[in-house]
Amino acid sequence: MSYTSGLFFIFLLTLIVVYFVVPKRFQWIVLLLGSYIFYLAANPVSALFLVVTTISVFYCARWIGKEEERFSREVSANAETLTREQKKHIRNKSRRKKKLILIGALILNFGILFSLKYFNFFANSTTYLFNILSIDATIPRLDLLLPLGISFYTFQSTGYLIDVFRGKVKPDENIAKFALFVSFFPQIVQGPIGRHDELAQQLYGSHEFDYTRAKFGLQLALWGLFKKMVIADRAAILVDEVFGNFAAYEGVTIFSGVFLYCVQIYGDFSGGIDISRGMAQIMGINLRENFKQPFFATSIADFWRRWHISLSEWMRDYIFYPLSLSHSFAALGKSTRRVFGSRLGKLIPIFLAQLITFLFVGIWHGANWTFVFFGLYNGLFIILGILTEQPLNRFKGRHNISLTGIGWRVVNVLITFVLVVIARYFSRAPDLVTALRMLKRTALTFFPIDISGGIFTEMGLNEKNLQLLVVVLLVLFLVELLQERGVQLREKIAKQHVLVRWAIYFIAVFSILIFGMYGINYVATDFIYMGF
Amino acid sequence: MEELLSILEEIRPDVDFINNERLIDDKILDSFDIISLVGELASHYDIEIGVENLVPVNFNSAAAILELVQKLQESY
Repeated sequence: MSYTSGLFFIFLLTLIVVYFVVPKRFQWIVLLLGSYIFYLAANPVSALFLVVTTISVFYCARWIGKEEERFSREVSANAETLTREQKKHIRNKSRRKKKLILIGALILNFGILFSLKYFNFFANSTTYLFNILSIDATIPRLDLLLPLGISFYTFQSTGYLIDVFRGKVKPDENIAKFALFVSFFPQIVQGPIGRHDELAQQLYGSHEFDYTRAKFGLQLALWGLFKKMVIADRAAILVDEVFGNFAAYEGVTIFSGVFLYCVQIYGDFSGGIDISRGMAQIMGINLRENFKQPFFATSIADFWRRWHISLSEWMRDYIFYPLSLSHSFAALGKSTRRVFGSRLGKLIPIFLAQLITFLFVGIWHGANWTFVFFGLYNGLFIILGILTEQPLNRFKGRHNISLTGIGWRVVNVLITFVLVVIARYFSRAPDLVTALRMLKRTALTFFPIDISGGIFTEMGLNEKNLQLLVVVLLVLFLVELLQERGVQLREKIAKQHVLVRWAIYFIAVFSILIFGMYGINYVATDFIYMGF
Repeated sequence: MEELLSILEEIRPDVDFINNERLIDDKILDSFDIISLVGELASHYDIEIGVENLVPVNFNSAAAILELVQKLQESY
């Protein structure tokens, strides 16, 4: 069910009513049933994978929990008689066992994700390699359907399992409740990737209907719909034309087209997230924020603290930290410190861990070499940022440039913006060669010979639509600017005079109904991230 | 505490570690600072800081970090 379909609206309305009508102790069951209905409506056969993940993670978490209990009992029963060394030995043995259980579950679940998502990518690349080496063999492609939300629920469940292993959360006791944690429908399509300690209590607990909270949730969802249907789907027309036909356009048009792709993907993704968070908020559940005004970032590192936050934090906590704190990396650090000196030598293992982490971020986005490049590109600029931090500070000090002044901040935002747009050539182009050709064309033919006709004319949007696009982009910019300055918009609106409030609601709903892109291909226009 | 403060100041000379108690909550230390710090603490105090220790409550202030170090020195 698409979020923008009438059927979904009916489903949601029914669910919310039932949710607040049933006795509080059954509320989580309503959510569970609703989530499975939603999932089966989208993808009945793939629900099998959802169930496999649910069962495997649930039981492995319980197994790890039982092993921890057994270990605690063993140590406390013999506390007097065991030496420190013996306790250490028993602890390590227990740890190894828990680790094996963890690794088994991770291999199973990531194996499923990997095979379904990346098999064809590997088949093609391997076949290509064979061709280069003149080996006459082809790995066949498989026609595999990607289960809805597999990239999201796999990460959310495995995050939970790792948290159990680390002793951060206690294993869930009820498999039906756990099934809700895995399948909760507002998150399943495109996140945010939640954490058990933040989410479980909310999902399993009871909630009273609260008018203000429901109102705020509805407003958030409305804003999300606006971003998706009025902004993203409109920009998409121009983006498709630029990427489909780039050789016909000059650099400035191509670059603007890629910039519009940034707008499209932001409107689409953050819009979808706002709809999800808004729906959940109506029911009293607070899903974590996934975006914090990403285009105000002052560096690539800062960008990833503002864009798809739940993914980058997952990668940080479950890949970057474990890697950089591992024994092998610590050992690497010792050698690099010997060779490169203390300062640089200390940083090299961190840089390596960072690159590997972003390689994963890249390929999470898709099975294509463009995403490998995308990941490494981002990782590289983060490293560059760290390397240039001290020299830059010295430069600024010498030339009396204020480190916190607005001028310097704007410069950083603009540089970061250009870097982000360049990265997007790679996440949208169909392959690496095309992306590079587009970049080349952008650089070599940046300024058109004749712009009297305007940049985006004759590209699928008529003049009125282009003007509207500019207007809504300005609205978006204004809203983001206010949010960046910490203004709580929904609270602020609530304080306004009733006429002002209703004017805003009217304009919002009106815009979505009238200006939403209900083109001929409307039904096919689904969330970009739903294919993950 | 003096030892710890000098380690902290070497990693981030611009931060006031004596008074600040929201190092993580206010995003003053980022993930790179944490990793650099953990590396230094591990080698200096001969302890093992696992990922499960990387929670805000352990790193929000110099006092909290010292407490973590002492706890890890005593455990097995």
